[in-house]
Amino acid sequence: MQSEKEKPPLFSSWDYWYWLVVFFLILLIILFYLLTQRFA
Amino acid sequence: MTTIDWIVLIVTLIAIISYGLYKSRTSHNLDGYFLSNRSMPWGLILLSIMGTQASAITFISAPGQAYTDGMRFVQYYFGLPLAMIIICIFFVPIFSKLKVYTAYEFLENRFDGKTRVLTSFLFLLQRGLSTGISVFAPSIILSSLLGWNIYWTNIFMGGLLIIYTMSGGAKAVAYTQQLQLIIIFTGMFLAAYMVVNMLPEGIGFTDALKVGGSLGKLNVITTGISDKGFNWSDQYNLLSGIIGGFFLALSYFGTDQSQVGRYLTARSIRESRMGLIMNGFVKVPMQFLILLVGVLVFTFYQFNQAPIFFNQKQVRNIENSVLKDSFQLARSAYDRVADQKKIVVAEFLGAKDGDNELLAEEKTSELKILQKRSDSLRSQVKKWIGSSAVNGDSNDTNYIFMRFVVDYLPVGLVGLLIAIIFLASWGSIAAAINSLASSSMVDFHRKFTRKKESGENEYQLSKWYTLGWGIFCIVVAMFTYNIGNSLIEAVNILGSLFYGVILGVFLVAFFFKRIKNGNAVFFGALLAELLVLTVFLLTKTKPEPILKIGFLWLNPIGAFGVIFFTLLLNSFFVKSRKHKAPAH
Repeated sequence: MQSEKEKPPLFSSWDYWYWLVVFFLILLIILFYLLTQRFA
Repeated sequence: MTTIDWIVLIVTLIAIISYGLYKSRTSHNLDGYFLSNRSMPWGLILLSIMGTQASAITFISAPGQAYTDGMRFVQYYFGLPLAMIIICIFFVPIFSKLKVYTAYEFLENRFDGKTRVLTSFLFLLQRGLSTGISVFAPSIILSSLLGWNIYWTNIFMGGLLIIYTMSGGAKAVAYTQQLQLIIIFTGMFLAAYMVVNMLPEGIGFTDALKVGGSLGKLNVITTGISDKGFNWSDQYNLLSGIIGGFFLALSYFGTDQSQVGRYLTARSIRESRMGLIMNGFVKVPMQFLILLVGVLVFTFYQFNQAPIFFNQKQVRNIENSVLKDSFQLARSAYDRVADQKKIVVAEFLGAKDGDNELLAEEKTSELKILQKRSDSLRSQVKKWIGSSAVNGDSNDTNYIFMRFVVDYLPVGLVGLLIAIIFLASWGSIAAAINSLASSSMVDFHRKFTRKKESGENEYQLSKWYTLGWGIFCIVVAMFTYNIGNSLIEAVNILGSLFYGVILGVFLVAFFFKRIKNGNAVFFGALLAELLVLTVFLLTKTKPEPILKIGFLWLNPIGAFGVIFFTLLLNSFFVKSRKHKAPAH
């Protein structure tokens, strides 16, 4: 493996990717909650 | 199976083996064999991670799980994306910096040799046995469904993949996993399309969701909270999924060599991280879609006669037992309830389409009562099958989806779906065997043999280790058949008993920099293991368990147990050293 300080694709820092993962998870949970409310 | 199905199955399996062999060329040393010369792009890392985690049981069992218990199982994966982030931040850079072959190598660097050997041994024990079960579990299902000989099915399930895994190591494993996942997703998508297509005319996807939802199968989010407060023994809910699932995923992806070995093959830290992050994005939706197939199958069976028990072998057993008359009565009653349900489902959809919410609610209540009646008849039959009169496996969750495939899907697609079971198995078993070989070679052989081997010799030895572990897993699968299902349960639990403790050792290594005493960690891990085993035994006391907690909670208990005992022992060792130190 090469350097540890490689930049991530698209963003300037890895932190943005990590936050994106968290937001996506929250979004999924909200969508699943709405789906449960709508159909269950 | 028809001739066409056989052709589809055989051609698919031969294609995978040939592709694996074609991609087998790698340099003749440990870097080439176990790490693909650290050359893999993130796309391959992602597919390899996914292919390693998703075994045949994922595709067979998850739809059955949704059929019986609804979609709440998806919550089990909610902790996974968060675990990916922690692994990207803390685990990947250190593994990469030290250029390790196995995760446990790092522990010798950080603490001492015995901590490395302990964790590596726990890994080999747990992974070796569970991989044997991974060979057996889909084999017994196919053998029951299609009347195949279980011993030959085990050999084909666990043996053919050894050809390319032994030949090409990590590189062949990753490339075949890529092709396997493409075929698996295509097959699952076609199966889902066919289920909706086979629903009665005028009933579409949304109607299927309405029916599934009205009968409680779209319970994607559950809190686990009832009038009596939070239910700690509830396996799948939002909290246990996020917390328990997080620790389970953290230990599995961060400390289990079968996963660590996948992202160590990346050509840079960037590629490792991107593979893991993308896994954090796709895993939950993927699992959701697989479970949704189960809900669609459930809806399909509201319009078509569902078997009262999906494992036909056990049905034949009960039909030949003293309980045959009771069983026939239960089956007739179950069929009558199913006929009533068909009428009420049609009325429910009519009410929904006509926006008559009051009538829809009334019909939902009727459906729930009927569903309760059919569930209770199914439970009764399960009890009989598990009783001493039949002495069979009373859990048919793993048979639901494949029973549907064999009974209803068109010629050709049946062969493809059976091929998918093989491919999904091969993907996870190949990665497991590769990691068992790497840990045996690097953590034990290299460490304990004084003679320095050449790169070529190590490469050849690694191939023999791969073959040896492949044979070991098939032997475990054969013994599992003789011993029975109790062993499957035992080995499934085995993972939860050890994962938390292994994770705890790594957490101390990463986050408690001041702890350098190998003895404190080693004995801390042993005490934590004792704690986990005690807690586990307290959940198994009879007639009533003293502790009621789901198995996911054993992971955080093990991890925090190691941290707690290590800190305690470390302060004790520091104090006793101060006492012994001469005064200046």
